[in-house]
Amino acid sequence: MKQFAEWLSTTPPSVFIQDHNAWVIPTIQSIHIAGIGVVLGSAFFIYLRILGWAGTDQTLRETVNRYGPWLTGALWVMLATGILMVIGEPVRELVTFSFWAKMILVAAMAAAAVRFQRADLEGLPSRRLVRSLAILTFLIWVCIIILGRLIAYDHVWGSWSPATKA
Amino acid sequence: MIDQFLKWLASTALATNIRESLLLFPLLESAHVFSLALVVGTILVVDLRLLGLASAQRPFERVASDTFKWTWGAFALTAATGLLMFTTNAPVYYHNFYFRAKMMLLLAAGVNMLIFELSRRSVERIGKAVAIASLTLWLAVIFMGRMIGFTTTRAAEVKPPPTQNFDDFLK
Repeated sequence: MKQFAEWLSTTPPSVFIQDHNAWVIPTIQSIHIAGIGVVLGSAFFIYLRILGWAGTDQTLRETVNRYGPWLTGALWVMLATGILMVIGEPVRELVTFSFWAKMILVAAMAAAAVRFQRADLEGLPSRRLVRSLAILTFLIWVCIIILGRLIAYDHVWGSWSPATKA
Repeated sequence: MIDQFLKWLASTALATNIRESLLLFPLLESAHVFSLALVVGTILVVDLRLLGLASAQRPFERVASDTFKWTWGAFALTAATGLLMFTTNAPVYYHNFYFRAKMMLLLAAGVNMLIFELSRRSVERIGKAVAIASLTLWLAVIFMGRMIGFTTTRAAEVKPPPTQNFDDFLK
């Protein structure tokens, strides 16, 4: 992976981003953060509806139809900006424990989000189960945000971090 | 006067503890990103409703009352985490261009909100302009916030001893 990251950092797109990093990287990161806002905000209102804390004038199906497409749409934006960040700083991103742990959680949550939007929401098994899953998955989103930030501080993982071995 | 205050702020036990901790600063940053994402995410819902691009069939008042308390709660957390990060290197942040620009933009976003609140009866007329101003200002706030991180360094970068990391939690 380190070799791949080092090769990637010599490719023209990566060199372009590195040469213009005074504004390219902060701009990409800002779009990525705005994407977090859309994903987390959308998920948040679906969770609030499940818990009955907001949006109770709408059915769960109406709420999911309102916020679901924004959530998945923003995930695509985050994938695109995320890939650009990897191209721009391959070693900083790929040679870390935090990045790969984050990717596993993101893949799981994206799959869960798509599955949930297609589910038969009227015939959900039990309200308690759905509420518990809502709280659990919200905490996973929080972990994803923390792991994203920890990419810059991967040394906190000690021997789990490939960066500290290098 | 202000410089002395900022120096004192950075020398407090609170600021020192955050600065010298392995995890506190990254966790504060994470909490800041989490809460600002909720601020922007919830404001976006209201702005898109004002623009008629989403939730168009729901009454505006209903969308707003469902949203604002969460926006304010998240804003309080964003401000608190931001202030704690500020203390760790107060003199540097205070003189940073992007920090000042961010504060001005936050102020402008606040004024924008106030104008809207004071003219609630003419939502139809000014709603769209307020929404566009709000979206632009918040995106600019995010960008300035990110630039602060690129143009300042943590005071006294902490290089933790090899024993002070995740491995210790596993022992």
